[in-house]
Amino acid sequence: MALLVVENLSVGYQTQNGYLHAVEGVSFSLDAGKSLGFVGESGCGKTTLGMAVMRLLPSNGLIREGRILFDGEDLLTKTDEEMRQIRWQEIAMIFQAAMNALNPVHRVIDQITEAIYTHTPSHNKNEAHEQVRALFKFVGLPEDRMRDYPHQYSGGMKQRAIIAMALACKPKLIIADEPTTALDVIVQDQILEETKSLQREFGVSIIYISHDISIVADICHDIGVMYAGQLVEYGAREEVFDNPSHPYTKALLSSYPTLTGEKSQLMPIPGEAPNLINPPFGCRFSDRCTEASVSCKSNPSVWLEITPTHKVLCHQCGKHCGE
Amino acid sequence: MTGEIQKVTTVTTDIDLSERFHLISRFLEGWSIYKKSFLGKIGLILLAVFALMALCSSIPPLIDPMYQPMSGVDPEIFKATGPSIRHWLGTDFMGRDIFSQLLTGARIAFMVGVSAAFMSVFLGTAIGMIAGYTGKFMDTFLMRLADMIMVMPSLLVLLMLAALFGQLSIWFIVFFIALFRWPGVSRVIRAQTLSLKHRPFIEAARVAGASNLRIIFRHIMPNVLPLSFLYMTFQVTSAIIIEAALAFLGFGDPGTVSWGMMLQWVWKTGHMFKAPYWLLPPGICISLITLSFYMLGRAMDEVLDPRLRKEGTTD
Amino acid sequence: MELKRYIGRRLVQIFVIFFVILTVLFLLFRLAPGDPVSRMVDPNLTPEDAALLIKEFGLDQPLLMQYLYYLKNFFTGHFGFSFHYGQPVVQIIWNRLPNTILLFTTSIILSALVGIFLGKIASWHKGEKTDICMTLGALVTHTIFLPWLALIMIWVFAYKLGWFPITGMITVEIWLDPQAGLWTKALDVLYHMTLPLATLFLIHFGSYLLIMRSSMLDTLKEDYILTGRAKGLSEKVIRDHHAAPNAALPVVTSVGLSLAFSINGGALTETVFTWPGIGRELVFSVSHNDYPLAQASFLLIAIVVLLSNLVVDILYAYLDPRIRY
Repeated sequence: MALLVVENLSVGYQTQNGYLHAVEGVSFSLDAGKSLGFVGESGCGKTTLGMAVMRLLPSNGLIREGRILFDGEDLLTKTDEEMRQIRWQEIAMIFQAAMNALNPVHRVIDQITEAIYTHTPSHNKNEAHEQVRALFKFVGLPEDRMRDYPHQYSGGMKQRAIIAMALACKPKLIIADEPTTALDVIVQDQILEETKSLQREFGVSIIYISHDISIVADICHDIGVMYAGQLVEYGAREEVFDNPSHPYTKALLSSYPTLTGEKSQLMPIPGEAPNLINPPFGCRFSDRCTEASVSCKSNPSVWLEITPTHKVLCHQCGKHCGE
Repeated sequence: MTGEIQKVTTVTTDIDLSERFHLISRFLEGWSIYKKSFLGKIGLILLAVFALMALCSSIPPLIDPMYQPMSGVDPEIFKATGPSIRHWLGTDFMGRDIFSQLLTGARIAFMVGVSAAFMSVFLGTAIGMIAGYTGKFMDTFLMRLADMIMVMPSLLVLLMLAALFGQLSIWFIVFFIALFRWPGVSRVIRAQTLSLKHRPFIEAARVAGASNLRIIFRHIMPNVLPLSFLYMTFQVTSAIIIEAALAFLGFGDPGTVSWGMMLQWVWKTGHMFKAPYWLLPPGICISLITLSFYMLGRAMDEVLDPRLRKEGTTD
Repeated sequence: MELKRYIGRRLVQIFVIFFVILTVLFLLFRLAPGDPVSRMVDPNLTPEDAALLIKEFGLDQPLLMQYLYYLKNFFTGHFGFSFHYGQPVVQIIWNRLPNTILLFTTSIILSALVGIFLGKIASWHKGEKTDICMTLGALVTHTIFLPWLALIMIWVFAYKLGWFPITGMITVEIWLDPQAGLWTKALDVLYHMTLPLATLFLIHFGSYLLIMRSSMLDTLKEDYILTGRAKGLSEKVIRDHHAAPNAALPVVTSVGLSLAFSINGGALTETVFTWPGIGRELVFSVSHNDYPLAQASFLLIAIVVLLSNLVVDILYAYLDPRIRY
């Protein structure tokens, strides 16, 4: 049974220069206990997607169409108060620590217990503290640092505290938005291990957002590749890795070192992502695509099913497969 | 091992403004932003009215010597009287014309405000640039000095000076206001200089063998001057207020008619309950000129600070 | 502990600043035209008394000795005799000090608290009518010329409406009445304090409101606010518990920076309302050529400003754990 189903979601921002189509027609589903990773360059809409699921878009953001079904209920029809109850209790977020996600004037423990009290007001102080102690133990933070302020923590410690905070209400789904960016490689590795173990132990579903396809591949069962506001390839990790079909996915994979450490030529992708205020009518990657033909630019791309679990949004692939 | 290659894109905004300083186009660009500010427009209109008052201040005495703001006395009136055709705003306790005093007050306010502000901004900019550029001992010394002056209540210090040196002339007052108002400016300019100091174009100039003086004047100054200019509007305000307060307390220059002085006359001669026509105009003028310079400053702030501009604040 | 070190460092700084002020005042005193003896010693005194005072101040000694005498006298509380009151200066200013502190601190605390509160509300209703009214109101009251506002307040509320007394701090009859309890006396002082307090409040709260408003708007864009929303906190908790404590920090800084400006205003208010404080004493003594009293009042005011700076710094450290730890 799918925990989260997103159907044909389109999100945009009203800006000074016009309406910006940040996310266009994205659909995916995530089963309980599974994890799904979204990769793409900055500005491709992956963060907007995560925020839209939480309904935490900035005031100029607007969900134009689509449905977000969580546990079978459409989040977009919920009232603000109902949504407030769902946040953190059902869906939590792991923010990037470098983002100043912890309030500098409150103690770390208070910021975590605050989430517990908000959603389970029946908890008394001792229970809440006991819970935080267990969480600290799980994420590997020393207990005696619970009463510290965020500025007394290192970057890695802050990230662990944020993970502990995300687990505070035992949510069914955690959205992790670039949690390891700006951490050094060793700490990054530890945090990734933690993310994997929390999935094993808590059986929580994870949406993992990153610009680094190797990290996503390390953690997630399914991978969605995003480009210019659209999902361009979606499938199980192995399928996307072994048989990358969209030219952009191929380029992404070749612009990072592979997981196995195989030496291959790192290929930068030439060109820039299109302007999302006036997105091109045809395939959005066509300007940078080495395989693009004239019809790519003149016709909107269509989804092509390669296997039942592997889809790609590309004209050219259709031709290849049709042959 | 999940290594990651950080794609670092540095935005290079290090263009030497002094080299491509198209003064006029920058001004026009700034003006087009300024025009959108409602308060900025009101401030400018008010200032224009005050400037007009200052310009007209020499006209009434030409019509009749009894309109001399300080020495002219209506030969038929020896006391405070209400508004009339002869005296639009009435007369003060000696029979002097309040309207012509008010016009002269505008001139004094501009003179005090602009000259004190100019001096303090000049001092503040120079000291801020020196402190920021030389650093080390000089920086510490100048900034400690600035801290020390900042905690001093300037009005009360001027009072003490009056106690020691007797009657203060208007230029002495202006000079001392300037001496007390530079620290605020110099802090901002110092911070700006520090951030400019290590920009590539300054480094390049240094490598090319430019002298320190040349770097300061040719490369740093053009980049900090807009900020100095902004601060000038705020300095004008405080200079006018300090002079007015000093005059109100009875320590102004006895040879000038300022708005603060007019209030002192109303207050000390006990007319404040009897003569609202005399009490209201000078106070309204001081408050309004302060307000208009303040609004001007805020609107200019929006022009100079792109962060505020994007914000699209309503004020 | 960090906080103690921080306070210690600030105390040393304050002492150095004060020492410089003392020294500069001494130099100015010597530089000023006229005879120093006639400034410090009342010309109406008998020659014997005058000689005694001259000896006490070391005015017959060489310059360096005079400076040392001056420092010694300052630290032992010998400020000479007021020409006007004929009393030791230290007695007079000691009596005035509580009155000034009462008016000064109440007005600053009141205007900062109200400014923070209203600024928070204005930012929350950004762009709406509430916000525009508050911002404009703050701009206007903030730029009114203080002594003039004081006169208008007296004219309207004391003279025309007769709601409040015109001047002074106490009603003599009440204070002489042996039956009047502490409560009656306190109420009497409060009654007299209303107008001066309102004047100072009106002038000051506006700038704190404007700072709080823009600081709130900046803070609401911070990531921890997003965290708060994601945690499912109510908007009220986010505003009051997460945004406001951070946004109030710049207001506290600005209270510290504007202390000098506030004491200027305090002196003007005391003078117009004849509130028996040190500021008024300074104005009074300067206009009556009573130098010993003026000097002592000025130095005491300097101490008040410096110490209140310290209080603001400690408050800041208390509010911001990044300084405390």
